[in-house]
Amino acid sequence: MSRTGRPAATARPAGTPPLSPAVRTGLWVVLVVMVGVALAVGATRGPGPATVQQRAAALDAVIRCPSCDGISVAQSSASTAQAIRQTVLARLRGGQSPQQVEAYLVSRYGPGILLRPPVGGGTAWVWVLPPVAVAGAAAGLGAVLWRRRRRHEAEVSEEDRALVELALARRAGATTEPGP
Amino acid sequence: MTLVDTEDADPAAAGRPRRGHTARWIAAAVAVVGAALVVLLATRPPEAATEVDTPLVGQRAPALDGPTLAGGSFHLASLRGRWVVLNFFASWCPPCQQEEPDLVAFAYAHRAPTAAALVGVVFNDSAAAAHAFMRSEGATWPAVVDGGGQIALAYGVVGPPETFIVAPDGTVVVHLDGPVTASELDHWLARARQGTA
Repeated sequence: MSRTGRPAATARPAGTPPLSPAVRTGLWVVLVVMVGVALAVGATRGPGPATVQQRAAALDAVIRCPSCDGISVAQSSASTAQAIRQTVLARLRGGQSPQQVEAYLVSRYGPGILLRPPVGGGTAWVWVLPPVAVAGAAAGLGAVLWRRRRRHEAEVSEEDRALVELALARRAGATTEPGP
Repeated sequence: MTLVDTEDADPAAAGRPRRGHTARWIAAAVAVVGAALVVLLATRPPEAATEVDTPLVGQRAPALDGPTLAGGSFHLASLRGRWVVLNFFASWCPPCQQEEPDLVAFAYAHRAPTAAALVGVVFNDSAAAAHAFMRSEGATWPAVVDGGGQIALAYGVVGPPETFIVAPDGTVVVHLDGPVTASELDHWLARARQGTA
């Protein structure tokens, strides 16, 4: 408690020394680097499922059933979906990569055969916008926190402190002592 | 003044006829719209084929080899040098049933050995049902059995009927979705011939 009877704004439990600005900045840097590495690893993860059946299943899940409404060939029992599933499996077994199988289907049905929008052209914003929005939000949050921290760290001169204490003492005196 | 007094005295009596008129007008409007809808649907022309811009147009036609409903075998490559009309169909598909008489007429008009050849491809149908359907309609052109739907997939077929016109050099020049008529096929053939001339 301070002399004014109010709890100090910067009161800290005993035994926990304050972190220096350098240490705090270092912790933030470590956190940002860890998140960045995790995102990079997740985005560039290896070839995916190991077996041909697993790779076929993963591919089936992103190929649109051409004779259905918005579902994948993995979810449909339509004859066209069955034919595509057979083709996917046969081509993967034949040594083609998932990208080659996708390219074959696109050469037959057009890019609409893929459930995920292709990168580029008019659909590029679908891929670009979310990371940009996240980066913008993170930058905004960082700026707000930084400014708030700077505001809290503003230096108070001894003269200002004395003025405030004098004003508080006068106010306390006015409330306890009756007027003339 | 008298009129105002009367309305003030009995507002319900003055409002009732107006509400009745409104209801009558609404009922009449609904009846007119309903009648127009019935007339529109009754006089609507039958479903027609539309040209589809698929990736296969302008590309070499995928290989088409397989057994026919008549028990023979078919190879698209054997028709190189002739215009070919490929028709994916099924006996259970109403638009296919709609277009079949026109296909019969088209096949008859193009019966000369060097004229455009009509070839059917069975889409998701049993060979017996497809064969019975063709015989009942008097269709005599070869129809290929597409076991597993791999031919339909190679041509990017979504659902029957779909029709492709293949140029004498083996290039797909037209992809039509929906039931075709004999005159439409002649029109598209003539246009394709002009385009490749």
